[in-house]
Amino acid sequence: MGLRTVSAAEIREQVIGAIGEICCRPTPETADLLRAALNREKDELARDMLQSILLNHQIAAEEALPLCQDTGLLVVFAELGSELLITGGILPEIISAAAASAWQKFYLRDSIAPDPLRGKTLLPPEAKPGSSAARATSGLPFILHLDQVAGNRLTLHLALKGGGAENCGALQMFNPGASLGEIEDFIVRTVVEAGGKPCPPVFVGVGIGGDFESCAILAKRALLLPPHNEPDLQRMERRLLDRINLRGHGVMGCAGSTTALRVSILTRPCHIASLPVAVNIDCHAHRVTSRVI
Amino acid sequence: MKIHRLSLPLDPSGLTELKTGDKILLSGEVHTARDQAHAKFIDLLNNGEPFPFDLSKTALFYCGPAPVPPGRTSGSLGPTTSYRMDRYTIPLLERGLKVMIGKGERSPEVTAAIKEHGALYLVCVGGISALLARCVVSRETLLWPELGAEAVYKLVLQDLPCYVALL
Repeated sequence: MGLRTVSAAEIREQVIGAIGEICCRPTPETADLLRAALNREKDELARDMLQSILLNHQIAAEEALPLCQDTGLLVVFAELGSELLITGGILPEIISAAAASAWQKFYLRDSIAPDPLRGKTLLPPEAKPGSSAARATSGLPFILHLDQVAGNRLTLHLALKGGGAENCGALQMFNPGASLGEIEDFIVRTVVEAGGKPCPPVFVGVGIGGDFESCAILAKRALLLPPHNEPDLQRMERRLLDRINLRGHGVMGCAGSTTALRVSILTRPCHIASLPVAVNIDCHAHRVTSRVI
Repeated sequence: MKIHRLSLPLDPSGLTELKTGDKILLSGEVHTARDQAHAKFIDLLNNGEPFPFDLSKTALFYCGPAPVPPGRTSGSLGPTTSYRMDRYTIPLLERGLKVMIGKGERSPEVTAAIKEHGALYLVCVGGISALLARCVVSRETLLWPELGAEAVYKLVLQDLPCYVALL
């Protein structure tokens, strides 16, 4: 250990490279899970759809085209070592510049509405934020969750998160007396009732504990992080995956036995009066990667 | 699974052979439209203005395409979630809309209206957008280019793979 420096340019290049990798190629885990789903699938319609998804992986990689036209909202979890000095810029601006370059370089879609109310305000037109003239093909602003950690490295977990799957998430503030069954029912119901909207087979991120907002962040983080080794949580993940696939509507909500490919749970302590549970869903394109700089 | 080749404008007699779950290879001229374009369509109808194209001869493809890389006809494209368009769909069906392409379930009201108007709702697999880009023969920006991905693009398609969800 010891103080290290890293330049803004190096971080920028790493982020551009990471975005380029995930927009056009599935992760090896995603491709394996989808192939396994196809191998065990008996329904003809679901098989046809899964084959299209796997063929799309090939075409997207060969032709350097995005897997999905919804190239998503860039979400970054950054763990910045306290002994790492970044020269030439601050992290939010470095990642913004990288995203702007990547959006141009890889022909990604600008999917950001500068004004979330889209002009549905009582303000006079000239006072409305983000007029349509201000649109740029940048995909900005992005979402950054920045933590300081020990060490002299910068770890980045990145996702391009599509809107259709994001819309199907849910958060519930449970009574601490709620049974595990009630909590699992909520998670299963959230995924099953989403039907075809989030482009199943999906990845399911679950956050349990924390407070209102950290619980939601935990659910998103569960989607981006590599699998953990907590035996109790792993058992719960397998049980939830089985229940979702037993009750779910299958590929694209149409047919077949695979609605979810993986369930990932993260927990953290919470107030004695609280038991927040959040579910965040990602589509089968599941564009996530990590970099350690 | 039955596979049908269909061309737009749709011959209504061809609908009688279709069943839910059948695969369709769809060709012909379609118009992309998602949330913002739909809101503008409804404004046009409410203001009594002429509709910019013949809804009965085309399909509305719920889609906001990705930018087109140089030397290509189309960038990645594919369906967006249809239920967001449900709030606008019934007036468009009343105006002659016959074919919609999207993904996911429709509301009970829209499901009933699709049946009542003899219309067809097709679903595409989402997230196979590099594959679907190969089905685009031509693309032009027809309306509201300032909306970017939410503009209305006129696409000519060849054999777009989709499935019968409602009819």
